[in-house]
Amino acid sequence: METKPQQPAQRHGSEYQAAGQFSPDAVAASMQRNDGGFGRGQDTYYDHPVLRKAHWRWEIVAYFFVGGASAASAALASIAHLFGDPDDEALVRNGRYAALAGSAISSVLLVKDLGRPERFLNMLRIFKLKSPMSVGVYALMTFATTSGFAALEQARADGVIGADPFGWVPRRPRVAAHAVSAAFMACYTGVLLSATAIPVWYRGRRHVPAIFVLSGAATGCALQNALIALFGGSPRTSKKLETIELLAALAEAALLWDYERAAGDPGKALFAGERGRKLKTYTLGLGIAVPTLLSLPSVLSKKRPEKPHRLRTLLTAACALIGGYVLRECVVYAGRDSADDPRAYLRHPE
Amino acid sequence: MSEMGFFTDVTLCIGCKACEVACKQWNQLPSDGFALSGDSYDNTGRLSSTTWRHVAFVEQMDRETPAASRWMMMSDVCKHCTNAGCFEACPTGAIVRNEFGDVYVQPDVCNGCGYCVPSCPFGVVAVQQSSGVAQKCTLCYDRQKDGLEPACAKSCPTDSITFGPVEELRAKAEARVEALRSQGREAHLYGVDGEETRDVGPLNAFFLIPDRPEVFNLPPKPVLPSKFQPEAYAVGLLAAMTMTVVGISVFRGFREGSA
Repeated sequence: METKPQQPAQRHGSEYQAAGQFSPDAVAASMQRNDGGFGRGQDTYYDHPVLRKAHWRWEIVAYFFVGGASAASAALASIAHLFGDPDDEALVRNGRYAALAGSAISSVLLVKDLGRPERFLNMLRIFKLKSPMSVGVYALMTFATTSGFAALEQARADGVIGADPFGWVPRRPRVAAHAVSAAFMACYTGVLLSATAIPVWYRGRRHVPAIFVLSGAATGCALQNALIALFGGSPRTSKKLETIELLAALAEAALLWDYERAAGDPGKALFAGERGRKLKTYTLGLGIAVPTLLSLPSVLSKKRPEKPHRLRTLLTAACALIGGYVLRECVVYAGRDSADDPRAYLRHPE
Repeated sequence: MSEMGFFTDVTLCIGCKACEVACKQWNQLPSDGFALSGDSYDNTGRLSSTTWRHVAFVEQMDRETPAASRWMMMSDVCKHCTNAGCFEACPTGAIVRNEFGDVYVQPDVCNGCGYCVPSCPFGVVAVQQSSGVAQKCTLCYDRQKDGLEPACAKSCPTDSITFGPVEELRAKAEARVEALRSQGREAHLYGVDGEETRDVGPLNAFFLIPDRPEVFNLPPKPVLPSKFQPEAYAVGLLAAMTMTVVGISVFRGFREGSA
């Protein structure tokens, strides 16, 4: 049974015809496939999938990516504002504006992915703690709202607007609320995937949410470093960001390794084959190893940080961002293959 | 009112597919096209957003003793779980449990987010492209409201599909299992009190199967996705808190060190 050729994804109705089901090769392949299923002891129904895959396309991948990076930007801006030095001002500004832009883009992506986008507001008619999708919509709304307040405060500080209409709200709770909503925004997307019936996702319930948070932190640092390289800022801020990014990236790599180990056979949808190679090349290699090696000397150096080379910073950031995007893409699309593989679900019950 | 459901007896099904056709006609579901699967006489494959009953043809051919071969047909349908994954996952409240105890998707409320689809442990509910909303068996909610039995049960010529109060159906099913076993035949109930009900609870649409569940693509231990949430939230929030502490330490460390 193990050596049986993998049947292509389940097809429905006319798709059989479109897939060239009547060609002699297809008929021969079908006969061979079915022969393996004959007799007692067959373990699936013609390898038809048991589960159904989510329709999620690039919009959701991009939503997870933008949401993670902008949430980390918000958290970094809040931390820099409360605990940083005056020369971290550029990070506070960029982080706040990036959070607002990111939450706006995220909202558009989320609505665009709906089957009936005009009914987006139906999600706001109830709040359901048991549904990560419901919790997530409110997390996004809260994050967008707090990001809006933070951007208003920043716009007033930058002299873009004369007065902040919400200036009377105390500063510290406001900044803390922004950071907390950002943290929740970063963590719920992993829960959204883990709390499904798809084996590769629920087997990663102790890893995926943390991996998404850490990847969000790393890509957020990379994004902020790139913004500082483009629009100016203190080299000391860059070094802080590089330090945080390094720690997040290393933890992310460790968790990915442990996820592969813990997921076992159903994890092959993510870690084996072409997708596994893609994940290892782009996320572990380009997204984690390259930035780590490039930033290690400056992070470890005791000297007062110098202005980093602009092109090098931008390239490092691009690598980290590509790695973060590919991670989301691989994890989301691995769910499709996992849903199509009946054995992952039937043979490895949780 | 007692909960209403289906009892589908695989040992009585003759594979005529009248239930598939009656369901499509009554619910005005579009065609899936004309094509051959090459697998068996089942050219439907599985349940989908436009196929709410599906008759599986399980061919167990024995090369050594052909007389031991058997051909089983099983009319699959939404299980209307007691603890339904789709119901819990739905963020709009479109999926409800109606007055007949069945899991129903309100088509005018659903916004097609698709989260119920990977949350169904049986792979039943699906988003249809043309309507953009999630669709599945309604257990003929409209017919039930008028006191009629669902179209599939009405059309079944052998009463392999029976409809009625779940309690009554269970008693009937247990008697049927006894009768079959006394004839020396294999018979199990799927969805009454076995391992499969561990997470999802008893199924309002349950089955009598003469072989292991996997043979019919029924999961032996279907999972209820919401049970994975506590761990997932804990791990995610722990990571977020750790990163916050790391961030604060890095920013504070620099200030004190004033490098």
